Amino acid sequence: MDKVIRIRKLTKDIPKEAKLLCETMLTELENANRPVLEAVKCSLDNSIYNPKVGYLTPGDKKVRTELNVSSVQKMARVIFMLERLLVNLESGSVNTKRELYYIAKGVIRGDRDLKPLDFADQDESDSIIDFIGDMLEVYREELNCFANDRGGQTYSQHLVVTETLPDGDRAVVDLSTLGTTPFQPKNKPQALTLKAKKKIDFCLVVESEGTAGTLVANGMTRRHNCIVMGAQGVPSNGVRGWCKLIQEQLKVPMFFFGDLDAYTIQNIYRTLKAGSAASLIRNSDFSAPEVHFLGVLPEDVKRWDLPFYNVNDRDPVEARSLKKAKDALGNDPFFQDKKNRRLSAILEWLIKNKIRCEQQSYFSVNPRDPQQVEKIILEKINKGLYI
Amino acid sequence: MAKQITSSSTAEYFAKNLQQVGFSSPTKAVLTTLKEAVDNSLDACEEAGILPEITVTVNKIGAGSSKSSDLVEIAVEDNGPGIEADDLAKVYGEYLASSKFGRGQCTRGQQGIGISAATTWAQLTNATGVKVTSKTAKMRKAVQATIDVDIKGNKGLLKNKETIDWEKPHGVRVEFRIDGRIQLNGDGGLLTYLEGTTLVNPHLKLNYKLVENDWVKIERVAEQVPDIPSPTLPHPHTMKLGEFMTHAGLFGKIEFGKFLKTGFSRIQDATLKELVKNGMPKQLIDLPTNKLTEDQFKTAFQVIQKTELQQPSTKSVLTVGEESLAKSILRLGDVDFFSVVARKPRIADFKPVVVEVALARFLNRGGGDEPIQLLRFANRVPLQFDKAACAITRAVETVNWRAYGLQQSKDSLPSGPYVFAISVVSPFIKFKNASKETIDGSEELIEEIRRALMQAGQKLSRHIRREHKEADLERKIAHIEQFGPILINYLGRITKASQLRKNKAEAGLKKLLGRDAQAAEKDLSEAELRLQALKERQAKAGMLFSASGATSDDGGADSDGEEMPPAFEAEDGEDTPKGTTKKGAKPEPAAVKAAPKKDAAPVTTTATTAKKAEIPASTVKSAVTTTAKAAK
Repeated sequence: MDKVIRIRKLTKDIPKEAKLLCETMLTELENANRPVLEAVKCSLDNSIYNPKVGYLTPGDKKVRTELNVSSVQKMARVIFMLERLLVNLESGSVNTKRELYYIAKGVIRGDRDLKPLDFADQDESDSIIDFIGDMLEVYREELNCFANDRGGQTYSQHLVVTETLPDGDRAVVDLSTLGTTPFQPKNKPQALTLKAKKKIDFCLVVESEGTAGTLVANGMTRRHNCIVMGAQGVPSNGVRGWCKLIQEQLKVPMFFFGDLDAYTIQNIYRTLKAGSAASLIRNSDFSAPEVHFLGVLPEDVKRWDLPFYNVNDRDPVEARSLKKAKDALGNDPFFQDKKNRRLSAILEWLIKNKIRCEQQSYFSVNPRDPQQVEKIILEKINKGLYI
Repeated sequence: MAKQITSSSTAEYFAKNLQQVGFSSPTKAVLTTLKEAVDNSLDACEEAGILPEITVTVNKIGAGSSKSSDLVEIAVEDNGPGIEADDLAKVYGEYLASSKFGRGQCTRGQQGIGISAATTWAQLTNATGVKVTSKTAKMRKAVQATIDVDIKGNKGLLKNKETIDWEKPHGVRVEFRIDGRIQLNGDGGLLTYLEGTTLVNPHLKLNYKLVENDWVKIERVAEQVPDIPSPTLPHPHTMKLGEFMTHAGLFGKIEFGKFLKTGFSRIQDATLKELVKNGMPKQLIDLPTNKLTEDQFKTAFQVIQKTELQQPSTKSVLTVGEESLAKSILRLGDVDFFSVVARKPRIADFKPVVVEVALARFLNRGGGDEPIQLLRFANRVPLQFDKAACAITRAVETVNWRAYGLQQSKDSLPSGPYVFAISVVSPFIKFKNASKETIDGSEELIEEIRRALMQAGQKLSRHIRREHKEADLERKIAHIEQFGPILINYLGRITKASQLRKNKAEAGLKKLLGRDAQAAEKDLSEAELRLQALKERQAKAGMLFSASGATSDDGGADSDGEEMPPAFEAEDGEDTPKGTTKKGAKPEPAAVKAAPKKDAAPVTTTATTAKKAEIPASTVKSAVTTTAKAAK
């Protein structure tokens, strides 16, 4: 089987580390001592944000699992799943989390003694896989476990992507030749190298994939030397790695264009810019710290008289979003950092005014002009109306 | 021209407003009729010092006169003292003809409305009142008659009077034929009513046959008629000015001071001096009561209200008692375990009140997610409608039952196969309506009910906690057996370890986890010891249901107040003898319904664990032994 493309230069030998860990556990058990598994604590209370670094990094806290009657189930599951992942690493096979869930079920079904290990749902096996990554301090992708591709549909008249294939061959994709078909980076954007045929002025990441398509269909990429990308909601690892790559290799200004609401700012934009607390150990390769928030900004609502609607705080989803925003102001180091005070001010404004304004509301400004939204975006970029 | 103003009789008023006294639907009509008849029987028996034996039959005998109703016959027969022939018309056909009105006693009936309303309903829907058979001890033959209500004149009309032979030495039998619908189960069901009545009347022997069901015979579990405390005078702080003046009117021209002393509780000579000190004109004390002006009444009333008076006496309240409640609850079905609390009489809003609570988990009632069955009682009468508005319901909802191991959503009734029976007894219960369906509770009363519930909850939690510990041990043992070998096996696969190493690691693992299991066993035995201690205290306190079946009458209190909220610790420690028991405990009187299950030998922990896990007890035992040995 072909060798899997590496995401980063990893000095760790994962199979060796895993065997060492198991060896230690076995020796502890032989001596009737309690083995302990330790993993980086991936949560907000163990997140550090340094604006010079640009993304959330882990603190010193660890999740410590010592063997006892309550934890023996988790430990057995961890070692069982680790063995499956090692088999994949050895053979070069890759799987998604969902596939691994079913593989585990298949193995368990074939051995009656393993029945107690069975996973009731995918969340249970996912958390074990994540724990293994956090324990070995390696990316899930480095365990040959990849997420489904989602988002990152990219359009440009000037971008050329070269992909190094597992067998060493190279595939060159000139995005200008794809017409209205987007280029979508796979979940290993690190295997790609980028080249601009002409100087690219900016990269626009649009929260809504549909709106990104509209901008392109209306000729935005033909009129401007730019890259337009659809994020499709909360950016996947693929989108985050892809943005990081564009930022590093092309060094073009990057803007995020999305809704004005707590969820977008806190979950979508923050994750794209600084990564997430759940993926502390891989934010360095999966975040684009230079991305700016283009809008919708609170002042845009007034400036362009954008339609908005009130947040119904009786709606459980919206109420939860507002509560999360309040919590973020209180305990998210990203929003607490002075460098991001304009963003936290927006969150405060949203909590106070309880309104939402969607990115598509710009289409109300001059409904007869199909290029109006593009014009507003350009105006905002040129005049520096972003954060 | 102005319309002529007419006046109506009391009977006329109630005939037009029967919904106010419990006849608002065909279903409620059947229940209310039954309830009024049974209440009357119980009150009569208690007043005469007779242990009640009541027989009830309810049958559908045809179609009702009104749409979607049946013709229902309700017959209630008692062994009470009987009613003199001359009084029959008054008792069954005249409104507000009561021997108990405003007496300040804890009787079920108070105003003399209910049974006359039932007669009126029968008359309105079936054109015939109630058929009564009565015999007193002095009568050689029984008198039988049909009684109608003369609605215009508020009088009972005796019809078809005859004397008949009746084998009973004394008693009353009433037969109502009314339009109605029979509902057996649920909050407004007849069975729920009969069960509730059974629970709070341990001295009642009840036989009933409802529709086509078999006869049910419930034996009494108390051999003493409750001693109804003598009536109490009203406390001046419980009255409004108008009531105060009306009350004074009953005393005629006696001196005002004398009226205060004889018409109210807690007013003596010293109190009068205190009243004068607080601004009551001295000459008022000596004035004849009927000569007082409205202003003088008002002045006197205001001074009395602002003067601190001794709390009213609590001697007038009647309690069922923990022992009787404990015996009685076993008559309701297969009880898994239960907890009873009878609070001491207290004063709430200057009225004496006693709250008693029985919480029981049943083996075959309700599901885990269904709300508990709440049985509410006021003066030992089940309250079956408008649950949400009742002070008792509010009190139950505001207790945090999760703390005692029960499931509960916020501000709701807890859920699970439990029956919560809460009885409030007071000579002055304030109801929200004339049909006495809901108690109108002040914060003070609700707090008193909450305290009783919390005490009972604490005792219940001993059982629940023991179960949790048992489940914990079971889970831990299962974990050792199930996951230990997998862990070793996969560690061995990754490290390619030899079988020898794996065996050694397995031995080490068993040793480690065995220690954990031992700790869980210790937790369980501690929980069991605490439960046992509770049962022993209960046995000491005179409860008949200790695990060993020991009995004693020396009273006592549960001194183990460590789980109590601090506010209740000192007070309740001395306050209330407590008792709980477990299914399997044997009640003293032998003839108890569903006795075989209750008489089963207490199960051991290990056996229970094994049963639940559906694995032989021996397997569990051996697992524990193995791990214990390994630990050594």
